[in-house]
Amino acid sequence: MNEPAIHLADVRKEFMLSHSGAASIKTLLLWWKRRTLERDEVLRGVTFDVSPGECVAVLGRNGAGKSTLLGLLARVIKPTSGEIAVRGRIAPLLELGAGFHPDLTGVENVFFNGVILGLTRKEVAERLDRIVDFAEVRRHIDAPVRTYSSGMLARLGFAIAVHVDADVLLIDEVLAVGDYAFEQKCYAKIEEFKRNGGTILFVSHEMQDVRRVADRCLWLERGRIVDEGAPEELIPRYEAAMARPTEGL
Amino acid sequence: MRSEIQELWRFRELLVSMVQRELKIRYKNSAFGFLWSLIVPLVTVVVMTLVFKFFLRNGTENFSAYVLAAYLPYMFFQFALLDSAQSVLGAIQLVKKIYFPREILPLSLIIGNFIHFVLALGVFFLYLLAVWIRHPGISPFRAEMLWLPVLLAINFCLAAGIGLLCAALNTFYEDVKYFLSVILYVTFFLCPIMYFSEDVLYSKMVPEGQRELLYTIYHLNPIAMLCTAYRKVLVAPGPIKQGAETIAPIPLDWGLLGVTAAISVATLVFGYWTFNRLKWRFVERP
Repeated sequence: MNEPAIHLADVRKEFMLSHSGAASIKTLLLWWKRRTLERDEVLRGVTFDVSPGECVAVLGRNGAGKSTLLGLLARVIKPTSGEIAVRGRIAPLLELGAGFHPDLTGVENVFFNGVILGLTRKEVAERLDRIVDFAEVRRHIDAPVRTYSSGMLARLGFAIAVHVDADVLLIDEVLAVGDYAFEQKCYAKIEEFKRNGGTILFVSHEMQDVRRVADRCLWLERGRIVDEGAPEELIPRYEAAMARPTEGL
Repeated sequence: MRSEIQELWRFRELLVSMVQRELKIRYKNSAFGFLWSLIVPLVTVVVMTLVFKFFLRNGTENFSAYVLAAYLPYMFFQFALLDSAQSVLGAIQLVKKIYFPREILPLSLIIGNFIHFVLALGVFFLYLLAVWIRHPGISPFRAEMLWLPVLLAINFCLAAGIGLLCAALNTFYEDVKYFLSVILYVTFFLCPIMYFSEDVLYSKMVPEGQRELLYTIYHLNPIAMLCTAYRKVLVAPGPIKQGAETIAPIPLDWGLLGVTAAISVATLVFGYWTFNRLKWRFVERP
């Protein structure tokens, strides 16, 4: 087997939990006396590999550590311990254009987002037409994005992320956006991305999405992988567990 | 720190894009656009000049030029710091999602403000030219002006150092930005903007023997020293007239300017070091 696109070995992540809300003078003054901040272990030793061209879905309840896992892969947060290796360029799919500035035009935002995802401005310029056509916002591309509908924003955000030629795509919740026709286009694009050797790691509560695109599922429960397998065998087990009342959580 | 700088260099394209974005956004929805960067200081200077001429009987020639020469750098300093203090929190949604060297956020705002400052200095030179055309006499353009890039470099290092520090600390304690605006208000009066550094040396409130010492301590504040230096370099020295009194101008103290340069570079190194130590905790602040 060739080298994995994503490799995690015994990854742990602890967060500090604050009970007093935002930093206040009170906590600042009390800080020296007693460090009452509680440690919260969100990931407790996660190990898995993803091969190039594979699409892996991460399942789990809220608070199981799914988003933390994506954050670690996006290099936004650092692990407390363990080893993480990602081969190639990573592109997180920003939900509803989180990286857009409302007062800038569509074109200006495409350039900015492309550059932040690791392209040069020249590379963005080469892809501009394809992005705009894919997002179907040609008529509005020179208007400030504050005038866009949420559907247009989502389409443009998706179009940018899948056109930066990343090696690994990270998707949190939003897999396909827009109306039915556009959703089909998103799925087709994701299939194409996979065929070209692109790796996808995504988090979703939509079992339909998971069945449709995932090659493999990881089931995350309280910071550990408790089960994994192909969607058709894992999803029934997962759904059965979800239907039961939560035990001891 | 070396690897951090290499990483920043690798992301230079993003830094350039962020600066461009900053320049575009600032006056995007205003009809006057960049002119606002000039209208505010010009109005301030006109008001100050009138007040000083008519109420405080300050008869110094070319007083507006003196005020502008110190006020424009101070404005850059003020806006650069206030903007960068908010830079990380303002982009926290992006910071939570995507990896990039975090220092790009404050740096792009500091560079954006710096570009506005340099443009405003361009207008300052136009103003000198206009005065010269109306009142032909000795040319206001002097060889000393060639020192301007050195002052700009020192000023930039100082602003970047404090800006990085404020950006990092304000992310954990938002008190920093309120503290900063109080400090900036106080330093405004501790800098020779509305008065002259000569006024400090010849202050009647201080006994004769201690004036030199006060003058030195006053100029250990790097912003005050920069304001004095900008004035000495940009405006031809002339006698300062306060009521019936006339004070001779003091030449620029290069030794004190050297101290300011050293303080500024040290501030930049310390600010960047602190920022790097804290930057991975921005998204997981308790």
